[in-house]
Amino acid sequence: MNVLSNVRLCRGHYLMRLGGREFPPTLPGQFVQLQCRVPGEQPGWSAVEVAPGDWPKPTGRELTDAEPLLRRPLSLAGRYDTEFDVELDIIYSVVGTGTAWLARAGQGDEISLLGPLGNAFAISESKPRAALVGGGVGIPPMIYLASAMQAAGKRAVAFCGARSADMLPITLTPSQFGQFGVDSVIATDDGSLGWKGFVSEPLAAWLDAMDAPDRQAVVYACGPEPMMRAVAEICIARNVECQVSLERHMACGMGTCQSCVCKTKSDAEQGWSYKLCCTDGPVFNARDLIW
Amino acid sequence: MDIDLSVDIAGVQLANPLMTASGTCGYADEYADFVDLTTLGAFVTKSITLEPRQGNDYERVVETRAGMLNAIGLANVGLDVFLDQKVPLLEKLALPVFVNVAGTTIDDYVAVAAALDDVPVVRGIELNISCPNVKAGGIQFGTDGAQAAEITARIKEVCGKNILIVKLSPNVTDISSIAAAVVDAGADALSMINTLAGMAIDTETRRPVLANVTGGLSGPAIRPVAVHMVHSVYRKVASPAGVPIIAMGGIQYANDALEFLLAGATGLAVGTALFVDPACLTGIRDGIVEYLQRHGHGAITEIIGALEI
Repeated sequence: MNVLSNVRLCRGHYLMRLGGREFPPTLPGQFVQLQCRVPGEQPGWSAVEVAPGDWPKPTGRELTDAEPLLRRPLSLAGRYDTEFDVELDIIYSVVGTGTAWLARAGQGDEISLLGPLGNAFAISESKPRAALVGGGVGIPPMIYLASAMQAAGKRAVAFCGARSADMLPITLTPSQFGQFGVDSVIATDDGSLGWKGFVSEPLAAWLDAMDAPDRQAVVYACGPEPMMRAVAEICIARNVECQVSLERHMACGMGTCQSCVCKTKSDAEQGWSYKLCCTDGPVFNARDLIW
Repeated sequence: MDIDLSVDIAGVQLANPLMTASGTCGYADEYADFVDLTTLGAFVTKSITLEPRQGNDYERVVETRAGMLNAIGLANVGLDVFLDQKVPLLEKLALPVFVNVAGTTIDDYVAVAAALDDVPVVRGIELNISCPNVKAGGIQFGTDGAQAAEITARIKEVCGKNILIVKLSPNVTDISSIAAAVVDAGADALSMINTLAGMAIDTETRRPVLANVTGGLSGPAIRPVAVHMVHSVYRKVASPAGVPIIAMGGIQYANDALEFLLAGATGLAVGTALFVDPACLTGIRDGIVEYLQRHGHGAITEIIGALEI
Protein backbone atom coordinates (compact mmCIF):
# COMPACT_ATOMS: atom_id res chain seq x y z
CA MET A 1 0.00 0.00 0.00
CA ASN A 2 1.02 3.63 -0.31
CA VAL A 3 1.33 6.32 2.32
CA LEU A 4 -1.49 8.84 1.94
CA SER A 5 -0.45 10.85 4.96
CA ASN A 6 1.87 10.48 7.92
CA VAL A 7 1.29 13.14 10.56
CA ARG A 8 2.60 13.72 14.03
CA LEU A 9 -0.20 13.48 16.59
CA CYS A 10 1.74 14.31 19.73
CA ARG A 11 5.17 13.77 21.21
CA GLY A 12 6.55 10.56 19.69
CA HIS A 13 3.26 9.41 18.13
CA TYR A 14 2.25 9.41 14.47
CA LEU A 15 -0.84 8.59 12.43
CA MET A 16 -0.11 6.93 9.10
CA ARG A 17 -2.92 6.50 6.60
CA LEU A 18 -2.21 3.88 3.95
CA GLY A 19 -4.16 3.48 0.76
CA GLY A 20 -4.39 0.68 -1.75
CA ARG A 21 -6.66 -0.84 -4.34
CA GLU A 22 -7.66 -3.71 -2.10
CA PHE A 23 -6.97 -5.34 1.24
CA PRO A 24 -8.60 -8.46 2.75
CA PRO A 25 -11.45 -7.92 5.24
CA THR A 26 -10.25 -6.74 8.66
CA LEU A 27 -11.75 -6.48 12.14
CA PRO A 28 -10.99 -4.27 15.16
CA GLY A 29 -8.28 -5.91 17.27
CA GLN A 30 -6.40 -7.32 14.31
CA PHE A 31 -2.92 -6.19 13.39
CA VAL A 32 -0.61 -5.99 10.42
CA GLN A 33 3.13 -6.57 10.07
CA LEU A 34 4.80 -3.58 8.43
CA GLN A 35 8.15 -3.84 6.73
CA CYS A 36 10.23 -0.85 7.71
CA ARG A 37 12.23 -0.57 4.50
CA VAL A 38 11.56 0.10 0.82
CA PRO A 39 9.77 -2.98 -0.58
CA GLY A 40 11.82 -5.04 -3.00
CA GLU A 41 15.03 -3.29 -2.12
CA GLN A 42 17.86 -5.69 -1.45
CA PRO A 43 20.45 -4.43 0.96
CA GLY A 44 23.73 -4.30 -0.87
CA TRP A 45 22.14 -4.10 -4.31
CA SER A 46 20.98 -1.07 -6.22
CA ALA A 47 17.24 -0.54 -6.02
CA VAL A 48 17.00 1.45 -9.23
CA GLU A 49 15.20 -0.12 -12.13
CA VAL A 50 17.55 -1.92 -14.45
CA ALA A 51 17.19 -2.42 -18.18
CA PRO A 52 16.00 -5.83 -19.39
CA GLY A 53 18.96 -8.20 -19.53
CA ASP A 54 20.91 -5.96 -17.19
CA TRP A 55 21.85 -6.91 -13.65
CA PRO A 56 21.52 -4.86 -10.48
CA LYS A 57 24.84 -3.52 -9.30
CA PRO A 58 26.23 -4.04 -5.81
CA THR A 59 26.27 -0.79 -3.88
CA GLY A 60 28.00 -1.92 -0.74
CA ARG A 61 25.01 -0.73 1.22
CA GLU A 62 24.78 -3.96 3.18
CA LEU A 63 27.74 -2.71 5.15
CA THR A 64 25.90 0.34 6.42
CA ASP A 65 22.33 -0.90 6.33
CA ALA A 66 20.54 0.46 9.38
CA GLU A 67 17.04 -0.69 8.53
CA PRO A 68 15.56 -3.50 10.57
CA LEU A 69 15.31 -7.06 9.37
CA LEU A 70 12.03 -8.05 10.96
CA ARG A 71 8.63 -6.52 10.37
CA ARG A 72 6.89 -4.50 13.06
CA PRO A 73 3.46 -5.61 14.34
CA LEU A 74 1.03 -2.69 14.63
CA SER A 75 -2.68 -2.78 15.33
CA LEU A 76 -5.18 -1.22 12.99
CA ALA A 77 -6.62 2.09 14.14
CA GLY A 78 -9.26 2.27 11.45
CA ARG A 79 -10.38 1.23 8.02
CA TYR A 80 -12.22 3.22 5.37
CA ASP A 81 -13.50 1.55 2.23
CA THR A 82 -14.48 3.59 -0.79
CA GLU A 83 -15.64 2.56 -4.19
CA PHE A 84 -12.08 2.73 -5.50
CA ASP A 85 -9.76 1.87 -2.66
CA VAL A 86 -9.14 0.79 0.91
CA GLU A 87 -7.58 3.07 3.48
CA LEU A 88 -6.02 1.80 6.70
CA ASP A 89 -4.98 3.86 9.72
CA ILE A 90 -1.97 2.96 11.81
CA ILE A 91 -1.05 4.94 14.92
CA TYR A 92 2.42 4.20 16.21
CA SER A 93 4.92 5.55 18.66
CA VAL A 94 8.56 5.85 17.70
CA VAL A 95 10.45 3.47 19.94
CA GLY A 96 13.33 2.29 17.78
CA THR A 97 14.88 1.80 14.36
CA GLY A 98 11.78 0.41 12.65
CA THR A 99 9.26 2.95 13.86
CA ALA A 100 11.76 5.76 13.24
CA TRP A 101 11.90 4.63 9.60
CA LEU A 102 8.09 4.71 9.48
CA ALA A 103 8.07 8.25 10.84
CA ARG A 104 10.30 9.35 7.94
CA ALA A 105 8.00 7.84 5.29
CA GLY A 106 6.32 10.41 3.12
CA GLN A 107 3.21 10.68 0.99
CA GLY A 108 3.29 8.23 -1.91
CA ASP A 109 5.92 5.94 -0.39
CA GLU A 110 5.17 2.26 -0.74
CA ILE A 111 4.96 0.16 2.42
CA SER A 112 4.76 -3.62 2.48
CA LEU A 113 2.01 -4.94 4.75
CA LEU A 114 1.37 -8.50 5.81
CA GLY A 115 -2.05 -9.19 7.20
CA PRO A 116 -4.59 -8.98 8.58
CA LEU A 117 -3.22 -11.06 11.45
CA GLY A 118 -4.61 -12.27 14.77
CA ASN A 119 -8.11 -12.59 16.16
CA ALA A 120 -10.43 -9.68 16.88
CA PHE A 121 -12.47 -8.14 19.67
CA ALA A 122 -15.76 -10.00 20.09
CA ILE A 123 -18.83 -7.79 20.12
CA SER A 124 -21.49 -8.98 22.56
CA GLU A 125 -24.91 -9.61 21.12
CA SER A 126 -26.74 -9.16 24.39
CA LYS A 127 -24.89 -6.41 26.24
CA PRO A 128 -25.77 -2.91 25.07
CA ARG A 129 -22.87 -0.95 26.56
CA ALA A 130 -19.10 -0.99 26.16
CA ALA A 131 -16.04 0.66 27.66
CA LEU A 132 -13.10 1.07 25.31
CA VAL A 133 -10.06 1.49 27.54
CA GLY A 134 -6.82 2.51 25.86
CA GLY A 135 -3.52 3.56 27.34
CA GLY A 136 -1.00 5.45 25.20
CA VAL A 137 -0.28 3.57 22.02
CA GLY A 138 -2.99 1.07 23.09
CA ILE A 139 -5.61 3.65 22.14
CA PRO A 140 -5.49 3.08 18.34
CA PRO A 141 -7.32 -0.28 18.22
CA MET A 142 -10.03 1.31 20.37
CA ILE A 143 -10.70 3.90 17.67
CA TYR A 144 -11.27 1.11 15.15
CA LEU A 145 -13.42 -0.70 17.72
CA ALA A 146 -15.47 2.48 18.22
CA SER A 147 -16.50 2.36 14.56
CA ALA A 148 -17.68 -1.22 15.02
CA MET A 149 -19.57 -0.27 18.18
CA GLN A 150 -21.42 2.41 16.28
CA ALA A 151 -22.24 -0.05 13.50
CA ALA A 152 -23.50 -2.57 16.08
CA GLY A 153 -25.66 0.06 17.77
CA LYS A 154 -23.84 -0.12 21.11
CA ARG A 155 -23.49 2.72 23.61
CA ALA A 156 -19.77 2.99 24.09
CA VAL A 157 -17.51 5.25 26.11
CA ALA A 158 -13.77 5.55 25.49
CA PHE A 159 -11.38 5.82 28.43
CA CYS A 160 -8.07 7.17 27.21
CA GLY A 161 -4.99 7.31 29.40
CA ALA A 162 -1.56 8.79 28.84
CA ARG A 163 1.44 9.84 30.91
CA SER A 164 0.74 13.50 30.13
CA ALA A 165 -1.36 15.65 27.80
CA ASP A 166 1.43 15.97 25.23
CA MET A 167 1.66 12.19 24.93
CA LEU A 168 -1.99 11.52 24.21
CA PRO A 169 -2.11 10.19 20.64
CA ILE A 170 -5.57 11.46 19.77
CA THR A 171 -6.96 14.80 18.81
CA LEU A 172 -9.75 16.22 20.92
CA THR A 173 -11.58 18.58 18.57
CA PRO A 174 -12.72 16.78 16.56
CA SER A 175 -12.03 13.62 18.49
CA GLN A 176 -11.45 10.36 16.66
CA PHE A 177 -14.00 8.76 18.97
CA GLY A 178 -16.56 11.53 18.53
CA GLN A 179 -16.91 10.78 14.83
CA PHE A 180 -18.39 7.42 15.83
CA GLY A 181 -20.67 8.87 18.50
CA VAL A 182 -18.44 7.67 21.31
CA ASP A 183 -17.67 10.05 24.19
CA SER A 184 -14.20 9.95 25.64
CA VAL A 185 -12.92 10.27 29.18
CA ILE A 186 -9.29 11.39 29.45
CA ALA A 187 -6.92 10.57 32.28
CA THR A 188 -3.27 11.57 32.59
CA ASP A 189 -0.76 10.42 35.16
CA ASP A 190 0.34 14.01 35.87
CA GLY A 191 -3.09 15.60 35.65
CA SER A 192 -2.10 17.82 32.72
CA LEU A 193 -5.38 16.85 31.03
CA GLY A 194 -8.58 15.30 32.35
CA TRP A 195 -8.64 13.05 35.39
CA LYS A 196 -5.38 13.00 37.35
CA GLY A 197 -4.40 9.40 37.81
CA PHE A 198 -4.83 6.10 36.06
CA VAL A 199 -7.53 5.53 33.49
CA SER A 200 -8.74 2.50 35.46
CA GLU A 201 -10.14 4.80 38.17
CA PRO A 202 -12.82 6.53 36.07
CA LEU A 203 -13.60 3.14 34.52
CA ALA A 204 -14.38 1.71 37.97
CA ALA A 205 -16.58 4.71 38.72
CA TRP A 206 -18.43 4.26 35.41
CA LEU A 207 -19.11 0.58 36.14
CA ASP A 208 -20.20 1.32 39.72
CA ALA A 209 -22.67 3.95 38.54
CA MET A 210 -24.41 1.35 36.38
CA ASP A 211 -27.12 -1.09 37.39
CA ALA A 212 -25.97 -4.69 36.91
CA PRO A 213 -22.83 -3.90 34.87
CA ASP A 214 -22.20 -7.63 34.46
CA ARG A 215 -25.32 -7.88 32.31
CA GLN A 216 -24.99 -4.44 30.72
CA ALA A 217 -21.39 -3.91 29.68
CA VAL A 218 -18.27 -5.35 28.13
CA VAL A 219 -14.88 -3.78 28.82
CA TYR A 220 -12.19 -3.79 26.13
CA ALA A 221 -8.63 -2.81 27.03
CA CYS A 222 -5.32 -2.26 25.31
CA GLY A 223 -2.27 -0.53 26.72
CA PRO A 224 0.60 -0.98 29.13
CA GLU A 225 0.40 -4.29 30.98
CA PRO A 226 -0.04 -2.77 34.48
CA MET A 227 -3.00 -0.78 33.12
CA MET A 228 -4.61 -3.83 31.52
CA ARG A 229 -4.05 -5.86 34.65
CA ALA A 230 -5.72 -3.16 36.79
CA VAL A 231 -8.64 -3.03 34.36
CA ALA A 232 -8.91 -6.82 34.37
CA GLU A 233 -9.01 -6.90 38.19
CA ILE A 234 -11.71 -4.22 38.31
CA CYS A 235 -13.82 -6.22 35.85
CA ILE A 236 -13.27 -9.62 37.41
CA ALA A 237 -14.20 -8.21 40.85
CA ARG A 238 -17.52 -7.02 39.36
CA ASN A 239 -18.02 -10.11 37.21
CA VAL A 240 -17.87 -7.94 34.10
CA GLU A 241 -16.64 -9.43 30.81
CA CYS A 242 -13.24 -8.04 29.90
CA GLN A 243 -11.28 -8.53 26.68
CA VAL A 244 -7.66 -7.39 26.61
CA SER A 245 -5.35 -7.01 23.65
CA LEU A 246 -1.80 -8.01 24.54
CA GLU A 247 1.44 -6.75 23.11
CA ARG A 248 4.40 -9.07 22.59
CA HIS A 249 7.63 -8.97 20.67
CA MET A 250 7.25 -11.25 17.70
CA ALA A 251 9.19 -12.23 14.61
CA CYS A 252 6.69 -13.65 12.12
CA GLY A 253 3.20 -12.79 13.41
CA MET A 254 1.83 -15.91 11.72
CA GLY A 255 2.14 -18.57 14.40
CA THR A 256 5.38 -20.05 13.21
CA CYS A 257 8.28 -18.61 15.16
CA GLN A 258 6.63 -19.29 18.55
CA SER A 259 8.12 -16.13 20.07
CA CYS A 260 5.12 -14.21 21.35
CA VAL A 261 3.95 -16.53 24.11
CA CYS A 262 1.68 -15.62 27.00
CA LYS A 263 0.65 -17.81 29.89
CA THR A 264 -2.98 -18.84 30.03
CA LYS A 265 -4.91 -21.05 32.43
CA SER A 266 -5.34 -24.59 31.18
CA ASP A 267 -6.17 -28.15 32.18
CA ALA A 268 -2.53 -29.13 31.73
CA GLU A 269 -0.74 -30.69 34.68
CA GLN A 270 1.03 -27.47 35.66
CA GLY A 271 -2.20 -25.47 35.44
CA TRP A 272 -1.13 -23.29 32.54
CA SER A 273 -0.03 -23.43 28.97
CA TYR A 274 1.46 -21.02 26.50
CA LYS A 275 -0.68 -19.40 23.86
CA LEU A 276 0.59 -17.34 20.96
CA CYS A 277 -0.24 -13.65 21.00
CA CYS A 278 -0.19 -13.55 17.18
CA THR A 279 -2.63 -16.32 16.29
CA ASP A 280 -4.46 -17.22 19.53
CA GLY A 281 -4.63 -13.47 20.32
CA PRO A 282 -3.83 -10.65 20.50
CA VAL A 283 -7.27 -10.42 22.15
CA PHE A 284 -7.77 -12.66 25.18
CA ASN A 285 -10.48 -12.98 27.78
CA ALA A 286 -8.95 -11.41 30.90
CA ARG A 287 -10.09 -14.38 33.00
CA ASP A 288 -7.91 -16.77 30.99
CA LEU A 289 -4.65 -14.92 31.48
CA ILE A 290 -1.94 -15.50 34.03
CA TRP A 291 -0.25 -12.12 34.34
CA MET B 1 16.31 -22.45 -22.66
CA ASP B 2 14.77 -24.46 -19.84
CA ILE B 3 16.88 -24.53 -16.72
CA ASP B 4 17.00 -27.76 -14.74
CA LEU B 5 16.78 -26.88 -11.05
CA SER B 6 16.40 -30.43 -9.78
CA VAL B 7 18.82 -31.81 -7.24
CA ASP B 8 19.36 -35.16 -5.58
CA ILE B 9 19.69 -35.30 -1.79
CA ALA B 10 21.01 -38.79 -1.06
CA GLY B 11 18.52 -40.41 -3.40
CA VAL B 12 15.57 -38.09 -2.71
CA GLN B 13 14.78 -36.16 -5.88
CA LEU B 14 13.86 -32.50 -5.37
CA ALA B 15 12.34 -30.31 -8.08
CA ASN B 16 14.55 -27.50 -6.83
CA PRO B 17 17.02 -27.08 -3.96
CA LEU B 18 14.85 -24.77 -1.82
CA MET B 19 13.61 -25.92 1.55
CA THR B 20 12.27 -24.42 4.73
CA ALA B 21 14.75 -24.25 7.59
CA SER B 22 13.47 -26.18 10.57
CA GLY B 23 11.44 -24.11 13.01
CA THR B 24 10.67 -21.34 10.58
CA CYS B 25 7.66 -22.77 8.81
CA GLY B 26 6.01 -24.87 11.50
CA TYR B 27 4.27 -27.91 10.09
CA ALA B 28 3.09 -26.20 6.92
CA ASP B 29 -0.32 -25.14 8.23
CA GLU B 30 0.62 -21.74 9.64
CA TYR B 31 1.81 -20.20 6.40
CA ALA B 32 -0.90 -21.59 4.18
CA ASP B 33 -2.42 -18.13 3.67
CA PHE B 34 0.82 -16.39 2.91
CA VAL B 35 3.21 -18.58 1.00
CA ASP B 36 3.05 -20.73 -2.06
CA LEU B 37 4.73 -23.84 -0.75
CA THR B 38 4.82 -25.32 -4.25
CA THR B 39 7.88 -23.13 -4.87
CA LEU B 40 9.74 -25.49 -2.53
CA GLY B 41 11.77 -28.55 -3.38
CA ALA B 42 11.22 -30.08 0.05
CA PHE B 43 9.61 -29.19 3.37
CA VAL B 44 11.52 -29.38 6.65
CA THR B 45 9.39 -29.38 9.80
CA LYS B 46 9.90 -27.78 13.15
CA SER B 47 11.69 -30.02 15.67
CA ILE B 48 9.74 -32.96 17.04
CA THR B 49 10.50 -34.47 20.41
CA LEU B 50 9.05 -37.63 21.93
CA GLU B 51 6.99 -35.67 24.48
CA PRO B 52 5.37 -32.26 23.92
CA ARG B 53 7.38 -29.26 25.13
CA GLN B 54 6.10 -25.87 26.28
CA GLY B 55 9.39 -24.14 25.47
CA ASN B 56 11.13 -21.31 27.25
CA ASP B 57 9.63 -18.30 29.02
CA TYR B 58 9.02 -14.96 27.27
CA GLU B 59 11.08 -13.07 25.91
CA ARG B 60 12.00 -15.60 23.30
CA VAL B 61 13.32 -13.45 20.46
CA VAL B 62 15.16 -10.19 20.02
CA GLU B 63 16.24 -8.53 16.83
CA THR B 64 19.91 -7.65 16.57
CA ARG B 65 21.67 -5.86 13.73
CA ALA B 66 20.92 -7.83 10.55
CA GLY B 67 19.85 -10.81 12.59
CA MET B 68 17.73 -12.19 15.36
CA LEU B 69 18.43 -14.11 18.51
CA ASN B 70 15.93 -16.75 19.50
CA ALA B 71 15.53 -19.04 22.45
CA ILE B 72 12.24 -20.80 21.80
CA GLY B 73 13.31 -23.96 23.58
CA LEU B 74 12.03 -26.55 21.11
CA ALA B 75 8.37 -25.83 21.87
CA ASN B 76 6.49 -28.50 19.94
CA VAL B 77 3.43 -30.72 20.05
CA GLY B 78 5.30 -34.00 20.60
CA LEU B 79 5.43 -37.13 18.47
CA ASP B 80 1.88 -38.41 19.01
CA VAL B 81 0.11 -35.18 18.09
CA PHE B 82 2.51 -34.74 15.19
CA LEU B 83 1.59 -38.13 13.75
CA ASP B 84 -2.08 -37.60 14.43
CA GLN B 85 -2.65 -33.99 13.37
CA LYS B 86 0.34 -32.68 11.45
CA VAL B 87 1.20 -35.56 9.14
CA PRO B 88 -2.16 -35.28 7.30
CA LEU B 89 -1.30 -31.61 6.57
CA LEU B 90 2.13 -32.57 5.30
CA GLU B 91 0.61 -35.20 3.03
CA LYS B 92 -1.32 -32.47 1.23
CA LEU B 93 1.89 -30.66 0.28
CA ALA B 94 2.89 -33.20 -2.37
CA LEU B 95 6.53 -32.51 -1.45
CA PRO B 96 9.24 -34.67 0.09
CA VAL B 97 9.20 -33.96 3.83
CA PHE B 98 12.19 -34.05 6.14
CA VAL B 99 11.34 -34.12 9.84
CA ASN B 100 13.67 -32.45 12.29
CA VAL B 101 14.10 -34.66 15.35
CA ALA B 102 15.36 -33.51 18.76
CA GLY B 103 15.62 -35.15 22.14
CA THR B 104 17.30 -35.41 25.48
CA THR B 105 18.55 -38.99 25.37
CA ILE B 106 19.62 -41.22 22.49
CA ASP B 107 16.64 -43.47 23.23
CA ASP B 108 14.28 -40.49 22.75
CA TYR B 109 15.77 -39.77 19.35
CA VAL B 110 15.63 -43.42 18.34
CA ALA B 111 11.96 -43.74 19.34
CA VAL B 112 10.94 -40.72 17.25
CA ALA B 113 13.07 -41.70 14.24
CA ALA B 114 11.73 -45.27 14.32
CA ALA B 115 8.12 -44.07 14.38
CA LEU B 116 8.78 -41.76 11.43
CA ASP B 117 10.07 -44.60 9.31
CA ASP B 118 6.48 -45.84 9.08
CA VAL B 119 5.17 -42.53 7.70
CA PRO B 120 5.18 -42.59 3.89
CA VAL B 121 5.22 -38.81 3.32
CA VAL B 122 8.39 -38.50 5.42
CA ARG B 123 11.46 -39.05 3.30
CA GLY B 124 14.17 -38.15 5.74
CA ILE B 125 15.17 -37.35 9.32
CA GLU B 126 17.07 -34.19 10.09
CA LEU B 127 18.91 -35.00 13.27
CA ASN B 128 19.02 -31.94 15.52
CA ILE B 129 22.11 -32.32 17.65
CA SER B 130 22.78 -28.62 17.61
CA CYS B 131 20.00 -26.67 19.35
CA PRO B 132 21.73 -24.16 21.60
CA ASN B 133 18.62 -23.17 23.54
CA VAL B 134 17.73 -26.01 25.87
CA LYS B 135 19.83 -27.43 28.66
CA ALA B 136 19.49 -30.96 27.35
CA GLY B 137 18.44 -30.56 23.76
CA GLY B 138 21.02 -32.54 21.97
CA ILE B 139 23.82 -30.03 21.56
CA GLN B 140 25.91 -32.21 23.84
CA PHE B 141 25.79 -34.78 21.03
CA GLY B 142 26.69 -32.22 18.41
CA THR B 143 29.82 -30.72 19.90
CA ASP B 144 31.74 -33.95 20.49
CA GLY B 145 32.80 -36.09 17.53
CA ALA B 146 32.51 -39.42 19.32
CA GLN B 147 29.04 -38.69 20.71
CA ALA B 148 27.89 -37.30 17.36
CA ALA B 149 29.05 -40.50 15.67
CA GLU B 150 27.32 -42.68 18.25
CA ILE B 151 23.91 -41.06 17.95
CA THR B 152 24.20 -40.97 14.15
CA ALA B 153 24.92 -44.70 14.04
CA ARG B 154 22.04 -45.48 16.42
CA ILE B 155 19.54 -43.45 14.39
CA LYS B 156 20.82 -44.87 11.13
CA GLU B 157 19.87 -48.35 12.39
CA VAL B 158 16.19 -47.39 12.58
CA CYS B 159 16.17 -45.51 9.27
CA GLY B 160 14.87 -47.96 6.70
CA LYS B 161 13.41 -45.87 3.94
CA ASN B 162 14.29 -42.46 5.44
CA ILE B 163 17.54 -40.76 4.65
CA LEU B 164 19.49 -39.40 7.61
CA ILE B 165 20.53 -35.77 7.51
CA VAL B 166 22.66 -34.56 10.42
CA LYS B 167 22.37 -30.88 11.32
CA LEU B 168 25.67 -29.46 12.46
CA SER B 169 26.35 -26.86 15.12
CA PRO B 170 28.66 -23.97 14.27
CA ASN B 171 29.49 -23.64 17.97
CA VAL B 172 32.49 -25.94 17.75
CA THR B 173 36.23 -25.57 17.25
CA ASP B 174 36.38 -27.60 14.04
CA ILE B 175 33.11 -28.28 12.27
CA SER B 176 34.82 -30.45 9.66
CA SER B 177 35.90 -33.00 12.25
CA ILE B 178 32.29 -33.35 13.50
CA ALA B 179 31.13 -33.61 9.88
CA ALA B 180 33.69 -36.35 9.19
CA ALA B 181 32.61 -38.25 12.32
CA VAL B 182 28.91 -38.31 11.40
CA VAL B 183 29.62 -39.14 7.75
CA ASP B 184 31.76 -42.09 8.85
CA ALA B 185 28.91 -43.15 11.16
CA GLY B 186 26.43 -43.30 8.29
CA ALA B 187 24.97 -39.82 7.72
CA ASP B 188 23.48 -39.59 4.23
CA ALA B 189 23.56 -35.79 4.13
CA LEU B 190 24.67 -32.82 6.23
CA SER B 191 22.71 -29.68 6.98
CA MET B 192 24.50 -26.62 8.23
CA ILE B 193 24.59 -24.36 10.04
CA ASN B 194 22.33 -24.23 13.08
CA THR B 195 22.25 -20.91 14.93
CA LEU B 196 25.32 -19.38 16.50
CA ALA B 197 25.17 -19.06 20.29
CA GLY B 198 24.67 -15.42 21.18
CA MET B 199 23.39 -13.02 23.78
CA ALA B 200 21.89 -9.56 24.10
CA ILE B 201 21.86 -7.41 27.22
CA ASP B 202 19.44 -4.65 28.21
CA THR B 203 21.91 -2.09 29.46
CA GLU B 204 19.30 -0.13 31.43
CA THR B 205 18.12 -3.06 33.51
CA ARG B 206 21.49 -4.83 33.22
CA ARG B 207 19.65 -8.05 32.54
CA PRO B 208 19.73 -10.42 29.56
CA VAL B 209 17.00 -9.63 27.03
CA LEU B 210 16.07 -13.28 26.59
CA ALA B 211 14.49 -15.21 29.45
CA ASN B 212 16.83 -18.07 28.57
CA VAL B 213 19.79 -15.66 28.95
CA THR B 214 21.42 -16.91 25.73
CA GLY B 215 19.95 -17.62 22.32
CA GLY B 216 20.79 -18.65 18.80
CA LEU B 217 21.68 -16.02 16.21
CA SER B 218 20.21 -16.33 12.72
CA GLY B 219 19.59 -14.10 9.73
CA PRO B 220 21.85 -12.23 7.29
CA ALA B 221 24.37 -11.52 10.06
CA ILE B 222 25.53 -15.14 10.11
CA ARG B 223 25.72 -15.74 6.35
CA PRO B 224 29.48 -15.22 5.94
CA VAL B 225 30.14 -17.65 8.79
CA ALA B 226 27.82 -20.21 7.22
CA VAL B 227 29.32 -19.79 3.73
CA HIS B 228 32.79 -20.34 5.15
CA MET B 229 31.74 -23.46 7.04
CA VAL B 230 29.92 -24.94 4.03
CA HIS B 231 33.00 -24.25 1.89
CA SER B 232 35.27 -25.87 4.42
CA VAL B 233 33.14 -28.97 5.04
CA TYR B 234 32.48 -29.40 1.31
CA ARG B 235 36.18 -29.46 0.48
CA LYS B 236 37.38 -31.56 3.39
CA VAL B 237 34.49 -33.99 3.96
CA ALA B 238 31.36 -33.83 1.85
CA SER B 239 32.84 -33.69 -1.63
CA PRO B 240 35.34 -36.54 -1.10
CA ALA B 241 32.64 -38.68 0.54
CA GLY B 242 29.97 -37.82 -2.02
CA VAL B 243 27.60 -36.56 0.71
CA PRO B 244 25.34 -33.60 -0.14
CA ILE B 245 25.18 -30.46 2.02
CA ILE B 246 21.94 -28.63 2.74
CA ALA B 247 23.03 -25.07 3.50
CA MET B 248 21.28 -22.53 5.69
CA GLY B 249 22.30 -19.34 7.44
CA GLY B 250 21.08 -15.96 6.30
CA ILE B 251 19.63 -16.84 2.90
CA GLN B 252 17.24 -14.03 1.97
CA TYR B 253 17.93 -13.23 -1.67
CA ALA B 254 19.04 -15.18 -4.73
CA ASN B 255 22.61 -13.96 -4.46
CA ASP B 256 22.85 -15.37 -0.94
CA ALA B 257 21.69 -18.75 -2.26
CA LEU B 258 24.20 -18.60 -5.12
CA GLU B 259 27.06 -18.07 -2.68
CA PHE B 260 26.15 -21.31 -0.94
CA LEU B 261 25.77 -23.24 -4.21
CA LEU B 262 29.21 -22.12 -5.36
CA ALA B 263 30.65 -23.04 -1.97
CA GLY B 264 29.33 -26.58 -2.41
CA ALA B 265 25.75 -26.77 -1.19
CA THR B 266 23.23 -29.02 -2.97
CA GLY B 267 20.21 -27.96 -0.91
CA LEU B 268 19.29 -24.49 0.34
CA ALA B 269 17.11 -23.81 3.37
CA VAL B 270 15.47 -20.46 4.04
CA GLY B 271 14.63 -19.61 7.63
CA THR B 272 14.58 -16.20 9.22
CA ALA B 273 13.82 -14.55 5.87
CA LEU B 274 10.47 -16.39 5.81
CA PHE B 275 9.45 -14.45 8.92
CA VAL B 276 10.04 -11.22 7.04
CA ASP B 277 8.67 -12.18 3.66
CA PRO B 278 6.94 -15.55 3.22
CA ALA B 279 6.99 -14.97 -0.53
CA CYS B 280 10.78 -14.62 -0.75
CA LEU B 281 11.16 -18.20 -2.00
CA THR B 282 9.84 -17.21 -5.41
CA GLY B 283 12.34 -14.36 -5.69
CA ILE B 284 15.20 -16.62 -4.73
CA ARG B 285 14.20 -19.29 -7.24
CA ASP B 286 13.72 -16.80 -10.06
CA GLY B 287 17.02 -15.11 -9.27
CA ILE B 288 18.87 -18.42 -9.43
CA VAL B 289 17.32 -19.15 -12.84
CA GLU B 290 18.30 -15.70 -14.08
CA TYR B 291 21.88 -16.22 -12.93
CA LEU B 292 22.16 -19.64 -14.55
CA GLN B 293 20.82 -18.26 -17.84
CA ARG B 294 23.19 -15.32 -17.74
CA HIS B 295 26.16 -17.61 -17.15
CA GLY B 296 25.10 -20.13 -19.78
CA HIS B 297 24.24 -23.05 -17.53
CA GLY B 298 21.48 -25.54 -18.27
CA ALA B 299 21.37 -27.14 -14.84
CA ILE B 300 21.84 -25.93 -11.30
CA THR B 301 24.13 -28.88 -10.56
CA GLU B 302 26.74 -27.31 -12.85
CA ILE B 303 27.52 -24.61 -10.30
CA ILE B 304 27.55 -26.69 -7.11
CA GLY B 305 31.02 -26.33 -5.67
CA ALA B 306 32.12 -24.29 -8.70
CA LEU B 307 34.02 -21.85 -6.54
CA GLU B 308 37.32 -20.85 -8.09
CA ILE B 309 40.20 -20.06 -5.78
